[in-house]
Amino acid sequence: MIYEVSHRTRYAYRDPVALSHHLLHLAPRPCAHQQCRRSTLIVDPAPAVSEAGTDYFGNPTTFMIVQQRHRELQVHVRCEIEVRRPPPPAAEASIPWEEAAALVAGDCSRTMLDVYQFTFDSPFTSAGEAAAAYARPSFTPGRPLLEAARELTSRIRQDFIYDQSATDVATPVDEVLRLRRGVCQDFAHLELACLRQLGLPARYVSGYLRTYPAPGKERLVGADASHAWLSLWSPGQGWIDLDPTNDLIPGDEHITLAWGRDYGDVSPITGVILGGGEHKVEVAVDVLPLPA
Amino acid sequence: MAWSFTGLGSRAEVSQQSDPSALPPVDDRLYGHYRAAAGGFDELMQPDGGLRPHWRSFMARLSARSDAELAQAWSATARMLRDNGVTHNVHGDPTGQDRPWRLDPVPLLIDGAEWRQLEQGLIQRARLFNAILSDLYGPQQLLTGGQLPAALVFGSPQFLRPLHGVPVPGQVRLHFIAIDLARRPDGSWQVISDRTHAPIGAGYALETRVVMGRVLPDLFRDCRVERLAGFFQRFSDSLLALLHHAEPRMVMLSPGPAAETYFEHAYLARYLGMPLVEPGDLTVRDRRVFLKTMTGLQPIQLIWRQMHSEACDPLELQSATAQGVPGLVQAVRSGNVVVVNALGSGLVEGDAIMPFLPSLCQQTLGEALLLPEAATWWCGEPAARRFVLANLDRLVLRPTFAPRSILRRDRGPILPARLSAAERAALCARLNTHGEHYVAQEPLLPSSAPCWTDGRLVPRPVVLRAYIAADGQGYQVMPGGLARTLGDGDAPLLLMRQGEASKDAWVLTAGPVSSFSRLAQAEQPAAPRRSGQDLASRAADNLYWLGRYAERSDGAVRLLRSLLLRVTGEVNDDDPVVRATLLQLMVALGHLDKGLARRLTQGGAAAFPGELGRVLFEADAPNGLAPLLGHLRRTASLVRERLSSDAWTCLQALQAQVEAERARPRREVGDALQLLNDLIRLLAALSGMQMEHMTRNLGWRLLDMGRRVERARHLARLMAALVRAGASEAAHLQLLLELADSTMTYRTRYLNEPRPLLAVDLLLVDNSNPRGLSFQLDRLAEHLAALPRPAEQAGLSAEQRVLARLHGKIELADLAKLCEPAGRRPKRDALPVLMAELEAELGVLSDTLAQAYFSHAQPLRKAGPHWGGGAD
Repeated sequence: MIYEVSHRTRYAYRDPVALSHHLLHLAPRPCAHQQCRRSTLIVDPAPAVSEAGTDYFGNPTTFMIVQQRHRELQVHVRCEIEVRRPPPPAAEASIPWEEAAALVAGDCSRTMLDVYQFTFDSPFTSAGEAAAAYARPSFTPGRPLLEAARELTSRIRQDFIYDQSATDVATPVDEVLRLRRGVCQDFAHLELACLRQLGLPARYVSGYLRTYPAPGKERLVGADASHAWLSLWSPGQGWIDLDPTNDLIPGDEHITLAWGRDYGDVSPITGVILGGGEHKVEVAVDVLPLPA
Repeated sequence: MAWSFTGLGSRAEVSQQSDPSALPPVDDRLYGHYRAAAGGFDELMQPDGGLRPHWRSFMARLSARSDAELAQAWSATARMLRDNGVTHNVHGDPTGQDRPWRLDPVPLLIDGAEWRQLEQGLIQRARLFNAILSDLYGPQQLLTGGQLPAALVFGSPQFLRPLHGVPVPGQVRLHFIAIDLARRPDGSWQVISDRTHAPIGAGYALETRVVMGRVLPDLFRDCRVERLAGFFQRFSDSLLALLHHAEPRMVMLSPGPAAETYFEHAYLARYLGMPLVEPGDLTVRDRRVFLKTMTGLQPIQLIWRQMHSEACDPLELQSATAQGVPGLVQAVRSGNVVVVNALGSGLVEGDAIMPFLPSLCQQTLGEALLLPEAATWWCGEPAARRFVLANLDRLVLRPTFAPRSILRRDRGPILPARLSAAERAALCARLNTHGEHYVAQEPLLPSSAPCWTDGRLVPRPVVLRAYIAADGQGYQVMPGGLARTLGDGDAPLLLMRQGEASKDAWVLTAGPVSSFSRLAQAEQPAAPRRSGQDLASRAADNLYWLGRYAERSDGAVRLLRSLLLRVTGEVNDDDPVVRATLLQLMVALGHLDKGLARRLTQGGAAAFPGELGRVLFEADAPNGLAPLLGHLRRTASLVRERLSSDAWTCLQALQAQVEAERARPRREVGDALQLLNDLIRLLAALSGMQMEHMTRNLGWRLLDMGRRVERARHLARLMAALVRAGASEAAHLQLLLELADSTMTYRTRYLNEPRPLLAVDLLLVDNSNPRGLSFQLDRLAEHLAALPRPAEQAGLSAEQRVLARLHGKIELADLAKLCEPAGRRPKRDALPVLMAELEAELGVLSDTLAQAYFSHAQPLRKAGPHWGGGAD
């Protein structure tokens, strides 16, 4: 599937901003199942410094400094991207989850260390025993890893209510677990917390989701949104994406931007501004499927 | 940047060879009762009860002094520490007070030969940690090779991923570390903990040494104690050498006055001649770090960080707040700034790495590890976990990623032996499922050393923090360090408690004491510098307000004194009308509560002493002296590194005076008057120091401008209120002259009863009267002309225009008309109107100054996050 993605972020500040620093994770990461054909970034006002780089996890980044006084900042990314995912492997073919955990912990080759690093709690996924307790009913002894994980994903979809007003970036994941409400980032963090408590390597994925207009309605431009899900390592099967918000294994409708331990590693835009006072953020994402 | 070494370095450090035969006999008066605990090692005494050889000279000299002499020396020690404001701000202290640093006056003596050996081990350890960090922030071969469990890196909150792969100059990530040591019962040293992040205490060690050197100068000299100055000189030289820059600028980065160890930051910064800055003083532009100063942005090449790595860059280091220096990591990555210690250096702190050090040492340095540490087990390893479970009762457990320090309260030690059966079972279960979160250690009984308690020496457990710093080629060890004595308690707990007091540590040398040498610097061409032109905007702001508060305090104290003088009858013609005016004025100026003023007016003279006492001394009286002096001291503490120690002592004394007076059970009016006179003297001393001792740099100008603005405003208020016609005209004018400290000038000039025209001339127009308004404006004009400003700016600055208006108003004033009574009303209308205008313009001047020079004060914020989206 080929998409044209437009992601426009507009910050409006009450007071002038004298200086702002931003770190962007907005260029789709090239990987086995996706290829970025074109990506352009337009920032207004133009930054004094804009430097492309790669972060610790291999994601493309842009570091920028806007040094002129401004009351409004627009960051607009447009890219064309092709997604071709193989069908997910058979869940029952994965090895028992305990074996998977032991296998990952016992191998210090470079490749496996890169997997192993995702078994540790990170700032957004520290829920401790509570997460382990929530996960356990699905992870019965000897159960195939993917089967258990698939069930956990479904349970989160069933047990939790999608609620934009219940949480924000500062809500800890154990609070989400208590509230049984949240948004995609919360559900991704929760499932990560569960899997990592069991010693299983899982990483956070930031990206976009193709959406469909309601029956009989026109597709609305800009009504799409950023999305977040996770990816679990299954020995012999590789990284398998899981979307607890939608209870599915992502296919060609999930576009990957970046991955890391959690939101904090790969937030689309991190910014620190000097001045500005109160401010408003508007985000407009448009995922347009292109004819092949 | 000036590289002046005050204190230790400037003193001639010449060792005097003493004649051993002149050694007085050791008198056992001081240690006759000294009994070291059985089974432990004692620093002072051999098992046979004799003194250890390296203590003999010291003990002989100590015991040659009378009890009175000693008592005097020790109280001098405590006083010096207090006067110098050596404090340790303890968080969690409900009163939020700075706690004085407690010093035990008897140093820990260490034999020179033994120290040389210890040094080797400490230097090796610094090299080892540096090598481990280089690998972990680079190729990570220690992980792929299996020498170090990857969980200790990936699970550590101190592994700062954005710093991975970022090169550092000379492969040095550790420049200044601390290692905590204790002596085992067999006399050998062992490591308790390693501090590689941003270790504290070196400044305290330095200050302790300065105080000890002053209290026991002859003892200090005769015992041939190795000096500390060379250590710091070599360290700062090594930092300069990293920079390869013609005009290198280094700063010390502190979280600010709320930090527990802010005293030390200020102290070290002053000692090393580095500006002390807070995150808000720095800004990153074009991937370079700049200091915001009054003269604009000054590039910075090196930052000695006294704060947590994670708090240094809110953009990349995942701090919850926006505090820090956004873009710092990018500046480091671009090679434009060196951070000392490198960001993320805390990764190798902590007990969990200890069991792996012997093999890591072999692997990275090809050497056997010289210094042992306490037997330690990281429970993430199955074999270690089994051992720990089998020996639970004789071990102490701690969280894996909670590093320990002898200078802080130990966080979360677990003593399995003291747990209930249920707690113990839970712990065992947790160890089995999440053993990687725990480290177990054998408790240690440290050696005991003599401490001064109730006039004699008593053995107490002691631990030592040693400092290791880069010296250009490799590492060097501070000869000495900071010893801590531990409180009474049962042995296994000893290392978990906060130290009771600190001690100087003296390394004794048999040879001559190496006197401090600046030869290394002589090779460089001498280039005179003028300091203080790069004043940080924040410091400028604080200095300006320090000036204002000092002057405001002076004004308030003088008002109170005038009031008391009238109460005690020391002013002959205590006119009730004048007294009422004075009370009104004090209410208007915020120095007196309205209700109290009313009661004082009604109650007459009898009501004064008790009620006034409250205003003067109670800490919680909102309009009282205590809050005002508190403001003064707090503002001063914000720019402490720029104040001389004499000025600081003066400020300390101000507060101490009021506190001492408050503590008196009964006080008379006379005592209060005495106190006010003392305060006026101290404030005058402070102002005198400022005039006579401060370099005429921007900092001085800001301080003085604060004073001038405040004094001018105060005068305008006084004149508006006190120049009034009527029966009490002369008495009011007398009060005005008294408050404006111009009585003598007036008397010598006019020899008559005060007359409005003459008094107004003296206080408003006469620019030779240093207490007059015109004089303040003239000084302000001089300062404004000297302030830096953009080169392209033509004509007067905005501040200068305000000042010109002020000058104009005074020059154009018709004095005769101003002082002419307005009809029969007791007030002169024209004068209060003019004074109100002057006061308003002074306010505008202050705001304009703030806008032009202090406007950095805007807070940093995080731009709104992307949260939500991806609806189902």
